[in-house]
Amino acid sequence: MPPRTSAILFEAAAPVPFALAWNWQRQLQARLLADPDAPEALLLLQHPPCYTLGRGASTDHLGFDAANPPFPLFRIDRGGEVTHHAPGQLVLYPVLNLQRHGADLHLYLRQLEGVVIDLLAGLGLAAERQPGLTGVWLEGRKLAAIGVGARRWISQHGLALNVNGSLEGFEAIVPCGLSGRAVGRLSDWLPAITPEQLQAPLLAAFARRFALELRPATAVESLPDWPRNLDPGPDGGNACPAFPRQPTPP
Amino acid sequence: MATHEIFMPALSSTMTEGKIVEWLKKPGDKVERGESVLVVESDKADMDVESFNEGYLAVVLMPAGGTAPVGETIGLIVETEAEIAVAAAKAPTAPVAPAAAPAPAAPAPVAPAPVAATAVAVPPAPVAPVASAPVIAAAAPRSPAAAAGRVIASPRAKKLASQLGVALEALRGSGPNGRIQAEDVEKAAGQPVSIPRIAEGSAAAVLASANGAASANGAATGAAASAPIGQSFGAPGETVALNTLQQAVVRNMNASLTVPSFHVGYTITTDKLDALYKQLKGKGVTMTALLAKAVAVTLARHPQVNAATSADGSAMAYPAAVNVAVAVAMEDGGLITPVLADADRTDLYSLSRTWADLVSRARSKQLKPDEYSTGTFTLSNLGMFGVDRFDAILPPGTGAILAVAASRPCVVATKEGAITVKRQMQVNLTADHRVIYGTHAAAFLKDLAELIETNPESLVL
Repeated sequence: MPPRTSAILFEAAAPVPFALAWNWQRQLQARLLADPDAPEALLLLQHPPCYTLGRGASTDHLGFDAANPPFPLFRIDRGGEVTHHAPGQLVLYPVLNLQRHGADLHLYLRQLEGVVIDLLAGLGLAAERQPGLTGVWLEGRKLAAIGVGARRWISQHGLALNVNGSLEGFEAIVPCGLSGRAVGRLSDWLPAITPEQLQAPLLAAFARRFALELRPATAVESLPDWPRNLDPGPDGGNACPAFPRQPTPP
Repeated sequence: MATHEIFMPALSSTMTEGKIVEWLKKPGDKVERGESVLVVESDKADMDVESFNEGYLAVVLMPAGGTAPVGETIGLIVETEAEIAVAAAKAPTAPVAPAAAPAPAAPAPVAPAPVAATAVAVPPAPVAPVASAPVIAAAAPRSPAAAAGRVIASPRAKKLASQLGVALEALRGSGPNGRIQAEDVEKAAGQPVSIPRIAEGSAAAVLASANGAASANGAATGAAASAPIGQSFGAPGETVALNTLQQAVVRNMNASLTVPSFHVGYTITTDKLDALYKQLKGKGVTMTALLAKAVAVTLARHPQVNAATSADGSAMAYPAAVNVAVAVAMEDGGLITPVLADADRTDLYSLSRTWADLVSRARSKQLKPDEYSTGTFTLSNLGMFGVDRFDAILPPGTGAILAVAASRPCVVATKEGAITVKRQMQVNLTADHRVIYGTHAAAFLKDLAELIETNPESLVL
């Protein structure tokens, strides 16, 4: 077991509008770009309903007019096609210096899949990878979508695991550009499961895979607009602000 | 004054090509050192590609939406505004063709350093002046010589130039945008350009290399003693990272260590096969196609030798078709096994054409995965080097590989006790003993030998 270094954990207790979470990631990425030896960071949260497109994604996979989407639509700096976020889905955004983790983007994608596979194995579910179809699959349904972006090996974006939320929003798109592939959620296998129950084990699985010790932010490391600016926007739909929680030791 | 190439970066050891999602700069734009110039996507990951140099983006060689192999030049950055027009004028409209030429087919496994391919039949005369040519390693990015002159050369050409002592500045490149290709360097060094590219265990090739070796030796002792003859991926004193294909070979070869394999050898008389090849050569039939066809037809009658251990080791898997893979060494390292699918049921002429197409696309790294990963049996041929025997390592997921050596005139005692000269070649089968037993291997080789020795004409039907 390699020695663990610490990474800052930002864990939100209520849905965070996508634009705000993206802004946080960019701030954290900028810190690591300025100082590649700075601590890595991890955001764990949920989003109000929204859609995101990878930088090279095709709008052909949208079942609606991109100019008039049913939920906010963002074209963002990650790989992959369109995906959907909504409450009931856990989103994990690691901002890592991948040069400390093998400097290999495919390996990083496989490791993110591994985090979810490890988590589900702990719940007695044998999730799997499908060659060429990045993500985590259970009985032919995709439970977790993965898409990342990097600059000078500093990562952004990450994985989204459907826990118990509505999957309706996926019906308006061809998720990840894969037609004929069903999207699933964990509660179809484990009816009582909630995102809150999974936060600690998900973080533990992540910490194990990446040999990181998660800790709260110090005063200087805190994000300037955390959590004060969490008032729901006109399209936000989330009623209560998010509060950072103390991380659970892995 | 200098031009810097932007290469398709390797974002992963398993990445062979990348898609250009977006150029963040347009030709003519100023680029700061460390500024993002374009975005490359591989799998579900994006990466900003930054410029190592300050200057101007002069040329985009692969537009957004396009895909390029790792290491390919996809754009050019020049240092001054004045150089933009010059670089743009010289730029090809089409994407730069990959420069690397494939090397002779080596057996995957065992001896990946093919010997002296370029030494074949060196005409002594042009070698002498080359030996005295100054060694200018124009390839080294930090070399002042390179910075002073404007040289675009493929990585392979640069390496060859430093090995052979050829000044790149003095060459006119035959590639796009005047890019200097490996062939241009070989030509300048007096090396034959028509080196055997693919394993062709033909009589002619074997003879040529035998004679060539002799004359090359003569030349070498005379003048060009200092130029290395064998292939090398690095200069003396260097440690060179494995490229993607070389890493793949390492993984595959390590995987084979868990397979309990054994070897069975056979000597096959090839007079009839050689005569047939001579007849058909003019019609475009290659020795690779002849051998693949002979092996495939025999495999169809010996399904056990076409079988493999299942992935979990609990069963024997019998493929639905006989797909003969043939190992081809890549000139820039690593090797690939293009597949002749349904080789037992495909006619010789189609096989020959398919093979030529597969090799040319392997050379430009354009093969689709199912064109190099679906072999059920592998052929590895080192005959063109005059090798008299070798053995091969089993590719994972298959049951057997056949190592084919050179066909050479041998003094043979006949059944009647007479002494005669016949052309013979040794073949050596490596097999997975979990599926293929000694009797299976022996019966397969006996039938293969009988087909080649007594009835090769049947391959034409």
